[in-house]
Amino acid sequence: MNKKIKGSLAIVTAAAVAFGIASVPTASAAAKTYTIAYQGPLSGGEASTGIDEQNAVKYAAKLFMAANKGYTIKVVSVDDQGDPAVASTVAPGVGANKNILGVVGPAYSGATIASLPYYKAGSLALISPSATRVSLTDPKSPDFGGPVFHRVVGKDDLQGPALAKYATAGVSNAKVFVFDDQSAYAVPLRGFVENGLKKVAGATLVGGDSVPNTTTDFSPTVAKIKTSGATVVIYTGYYSQAAVFIKQLRDSGSTAVFAGGDGVFNQEFPKLAGAAAEGSKVTGVGGLAGISSKLEADFKAKMGVSSGVYSVEAFDAANIFLSGIKAGKTTREAMLKYVNAYSGKSISGNTIKFDKNGDISYGLFAGFTSKNGVLVNTGIVK
Amino acid sequence: MFAVLIDQFWSLTIAGIALGFIYVLISLGYTMVYGVLRMINFANSEIFMWGTFGTVITSRDIFHYTQTSEPAKGFKLIFVLLCSLLMSMAVAGLTAVFVEFVAYRRLRMKGTNRLATLISAIGISIALQEVMRLLTSSRPVGSPRVLEKIILTEMWGANVRLDTVITIIAAAIIFFILERFIKLSRMGKAIRAVSQNEDAAKLMGVNLNRVITTTFLVGGLATGAAGFFYITVFEYTKFNIGFTMGMAAFTAAVLGGIGNIRGAFFGGLTLGLLEVYASAVLGTQWKAVTVFIVLVLVLLFKPNGLFGEAVQTTRA
Repeated sequence: MNKKIKGSLAIVTAAAVAFGIASVPTASAAAKTYTIAYQGPLSGGEASTGIDEQNAVKYAAKLFMAANKGYTIKVVSVDDQGDPAVASTVAPGVGANKNILGVVGPAYSGATIASLPYYKAGSLALISPSATRVSLTDPKSPDFGGPVFHRVVGKDDLQGPALAKYATAGVSNAKVFVFDDQSAYAVPLRGFVENGLKKVAGATLVGGDSVPNTTTDFSPTVAKIKTSGATVVIYTGYYSQAAVFIKQLRDSGSTAVFAGGDGVFNQEFPKLAGAAAEGSKVTGVGGLAGISSKLEADFKAKMGVSSGVYSVEAFDAANIFLSGIKAGKTTREAMLKYVNAYSGKSISGNTIKFDKNGDISYGLFAGFTSKNGVLVNTGIVK
Repeated sequence: MFAVLIDQFWSLTIAGIALGFIYVLISLGYTMVYGVLRMINFANSEIFMWGTFGTVITSRDIFHYTQTSEPAKGFKLIFVLLCSLLMSMAVAGLTAVFVEFVAYRRLRMKGTNRLATLISAIGISIALQEVMRLLTSSRPVGSPRVLEKIILTEMWGANVRLDTVITIIAAAIIFFILERFIKLSRMGKAIRAVSQNEDAAKLMGVNLNRVITTTFLVGGLATGAAGFFYITVFEYTKFNIGFTMGMAAFTAAVLGGIGNIRGAFFGGLTLGLLEVYASAVLGTQWKAVTVFIVLVLVLLFKPNGLFGEAVQTTRA
């Protein structure tokens, strides 16, 4: 009996901590505590993306607290594993916890869709650093996230054509093979890439494939690429699979240009693929290091790790909420109004201002080429 | 539709056989345990995943190869590969024995029902996966290239690469040794005896616990060898690769007739070839559909799999 009570107490305490119900720490009674949340995959197969983004949010909170004495910012971790099924079980708790003023996230589009009903009901403002699915900001779609959903990242219908252009640049009469990893992110992006190819002079689509994202043996895809005579191969999927694939493509003797979208954009990609990655082209969003090495060094000193994917976006998103807190928007309704009317500078120097559907006006994708084991920024794809 | 298959037939076939042999070795881990305990070792997929890390650690941390270093040559190449193979086998073998001690033996001693062991095996497999996830911070791990993937010869328009040749030959040898062990050695005979009739074997003085531990060990060694070949061919691992490979190998075991060593052999090869051909002809999105339709059809007509005999009656 005793044990049981203890056990349930432990669960309640854990839940209180997890959802930020715990009271203000007494030691800093003068400081006011405000809570924001980060939602994304913090465990499971996609955890590295979420951990990278959450680090950037925590970094933003650290800088804010150092610059503004008297504020304590608590970042609540909401782990949805990037999975809609998990998201729909954690989102009700977040939606009901009125202490949470805003959510940076959700990181993934599918998880966003599953979470939206609870956040709309709770008027909880969301700013996603990385959910790029087009339907999220399309008022005609059932997935539409307005008025609570916002994002500080460009949509896939901008990325697709940019990727098509960047991949085929410098290849005359490019014969292009496009394949996806069957994920909710990659399949629509592949469609936008194929549409974008139609506008590239001389480029023809010669084939395609759709490979489950758990595949490690790409020999059938490599065989198709060789048969199609492709000179450019575009992959919409994630970096770990891309690294496995590019090795197998190069080992087969193919010299076709390899290109990938922002899912491949990760410095781990050239590290994993080694020499095979050399010359690969990737579209993505520049990280903190791409903005200034000083910023990256400071991040590493404060967080103990290097900044990762979408760190700029997560940092920008967190800063919007933090400036709202500073402006005294300490209820959800006030915060949501503030975010909807927000206009400010991104750390990359662009102006962040959301349109009525929650999109930002910019969303330019940069091109990166793998050189000596590092993805080097070659500038915005125009 | 068949253009790719015709154009690249031999490339696909060689790749399919190499993949098939990796399945063969993993499915031994399932089939051996099933043959003796009549229980599915759900942790085998994670034992495989741990095995792959044995090779990565050997080449990366013991011999200090990096992504940019030159591949090994001559005697050193053989030495490094052999050490990696043994390390993978040792890691997987010990993990398998650990699984037996923790998830099976204690429950068996207490006389619990089979469902309890099933759950404890699933439990330990999740634990093994999560531990590796924490150790690797959820990131994929690339293995340095120790073996240069030289194209040995061209056969009917297909490149025959050194890594696939080594995988096929060495995996076949390892399979043959294990098969002989089960067939001829005293321990192998004891394993088959337990598989036939546990109580009778006990009465004949067979040490049941030793036999079961050895079965797990042998299955683990084979699975670990598969981990080594996997790394040699794909040079990549991650904490969650076990599930897909384990699922495929388990399918191969069922296809061939679970509990049957020769069944694992033909099931693995059939599955490897079927996967690459189906992907090439129908598109990779149809791979799983094709494989499982074939599995269902086989089981409809031969409910015990292609070679539906069990370990106890295995003939050479």
